[in-house]
Amino acid sequence: MVENRPLSTLIAHAILWMGIAIVVFPVYLTFVASTHEPAEIVNGTMGFLPGGLPLQNYVDALFTGTKQIKSTPVLQMMGNSLVMALVIAIGKIAISIISAYAVVFFRFPFRMFFFWTIFVTLMLPVEVRIYPTYKIVSDLGMLNTYAGLTIPLIASATATLLFRQFFLTIPDELVEAAKIDGAGPMKFFRDVVLPLSRTNMAALFVILFIYGWNQYLWPLLVTTDASMDTIVYGIRRMIVTSDAQTDWHIVMATTMLAMLPPVFVVFAMQKLFVKGLVETEK
Amino acid sequence: MATVELKGVRKSYGTTRVIHGIDLEIADGELVVIVGPSGCGKSTLLRMVAGLEAITEGTIAIDGAVVNQREPKDRDIAMVFQNYALYPHMSVYDNMAYGLRNRGMAKDEIDRRVRAAAQTLELAALLDRKPRQLSGGQRQRVAMGRAIVREPKAFLFDEPLSNLDAKLRVQMRVEIKKLQRQLGVTSLYVTHDQVEAMTMADRLVVMNAGVAEQIGTPMELYARPASVFVAGFIGSPSMNFLPGRLAGGVVGLAGGTSIPVNGAAPSAAGEVTVGIRPEHVEPGAPGAPLKLKVELIERLGSESLIYGRLEGGGELTARIDGEREIATGATLALGVTTRHLHLFDRASGKRLN
Repeated sequence: MVENRPLSTLIAHAILWMGIAIVVFPVYLTFVASTHEPAEIVNGTMGFLPGGLPLQNYVDALFTGTKQIKSTPVLQMMGNSLVMALVIAIGKIAISIISAYAVVFFRFPFRMFFFWTIFVTLMLPVEVRIYPTYKIVSDLGMLNTYAGLTIPLIASATATLLFRQFFLTIPDELVEAAKIDGAGPMKFFRDVVLPLSRTNMAALFVILFIYGWNQYLWPLLVTTDASMDTIVYGIRRMIVTSDAQTDWHIVMATTMLAMLPPVFVVFAMQKLFVKGLVETEK
Repeated sequence: MATVELKGVRKSYGTTRVIHGIDLEIADGELVVIVGPSGCGKSTLLRMVAGLEAITEGTIAIDGAVVNQREPKDRDIAMVFQNYALYPHMSVYDNMAYGLRNRGMAKDEIDRRVRAAAQTLELAALLDRKPRQLSGGQRQRVAMGRAIVREPKAFLFDEPLSNLDAKLRVQMRVEIKKLQRQLGVTSLYVTHDQVEAMTMADRLVVMNAGVAEQIGTPMELYARPASVFVAGFIGSPSMNFLPGRLAGGVVGLAGGTSIPVNGAAPSAAGEVTVGIRPEHVEPGAPGAPLKLKVELIERLGSESLIYGRLEGGGELTARIDGEREIATGATLALGVTTRHLHLFDRASGKRLN
């Protein structure tokens, strides 16, 4: 449908700009606040223009964190978050691609039972099973460790299903051709299935990296040591509620920094990401 | 180079029997085509030879060695699939080389074989392309190339031309046949297209419902089909069948027409099916016994196909010289030479003469 009505185009654009403004404004304000003196923010004299400290707050945040109440330096928190997001994303992809491969390409007893067991866990999000999970992690002595932070979040029914659907589109003849070409299950996985799943893996990586990066509830429970703080949870810890003043300039700078890695991942993977969601390479 | 031998091969899925005992010997360098309607078990049979399906009963031997328990890769066969089954992410070169690499062949030997095959198949300029950048015919050739470089004991073809358009199919048919001749590799070729089967085969196996109805050279099957099924399947347009009654060496058709037959045992008598190929009727022959009321004419140029109804009932297709003038609605007198008559038992469908 090709239309050429200037008025409706104008209205459409106006609505889009409004939407963008609504999304961008808080982010912009965060950025502005991150460049001001702390006093200006608290006084309410900050205004809508960037202040006179374009970098100082960021440097302070990265290497020292908040001072009023002592927080972990942001660099360390970002490191923690990065480890967590990467381990979760890569772990989820690795585990689910293997289980989907087993479910689709092998005939073994109780195959469908295992498939449905995986499927059913979709109905149990982290929040629902959080107490038993916490209990296990704590009994295994994994509190305040990267293992405790990541392993319980690695199992993924969604990713398994996604890979399963993709594997089902691989024609049987391809599997048979590989058999005749002398490729065993391992070789077929490495030489055919993995390269064909490249775009799917990229799309999943973007989604799962952001999922891991944004985890809040789980780090809140399993980490008590400040040195293990992830950045998303760490921001919350920087905000003081009662007897001291919050270092808003540092909090804002931290917030900006917290947004950067997911944005970077999306930009870096955008081409593959879109390809993975839209087309199946056959 | 090798022989392939099937002895009493059967296949069941649970209690459902799909192949009821096939015996077949393929000589060294021979191209045997298995032809039949869909669901007759021809692909299953081929897949059993390839090792992709387990054999329920019987033995399959390649080059004298029973391979029932061998993995596909250890049978030294190469297969060409209907949808080509090329690895989409590999270049043409890698597609052909993959099987050789898995066998741990030396790099320069792989290179030599792939380039030689590419030369033969006119793929030399396309070696760096991905399958999706190729046309259907080119993909088909890559699939052939993948089979050739292996230098296997036998080629197995599973309807390799079905995904091509009509013109390309005819062209590839010739190419495959030539190549098979040139390489002299024993081949088993499955198709549902009887023209493909007739033109390519050294010998033909006509399968129906899990049974080999007849095995023979294309001309044997054309001239002396063993059953009504084979008679109807081989030849295009297909054979006409008319109900008749055999007694004393003469077959009587509906409407009182009677035609003398030979070859049948003189004592044989009873209800029969008379088979007449469209190309074996002669318009205006002396004493022509069949009167055909012409209903439709298809002019193909060199010949015309006449569809009509016989006096006394029954439909008949005739194929006659294209230059003969015939009008729709006219009545045509058609003669049949006795040696071109096929007689089948009505009940069993087996050949009588």
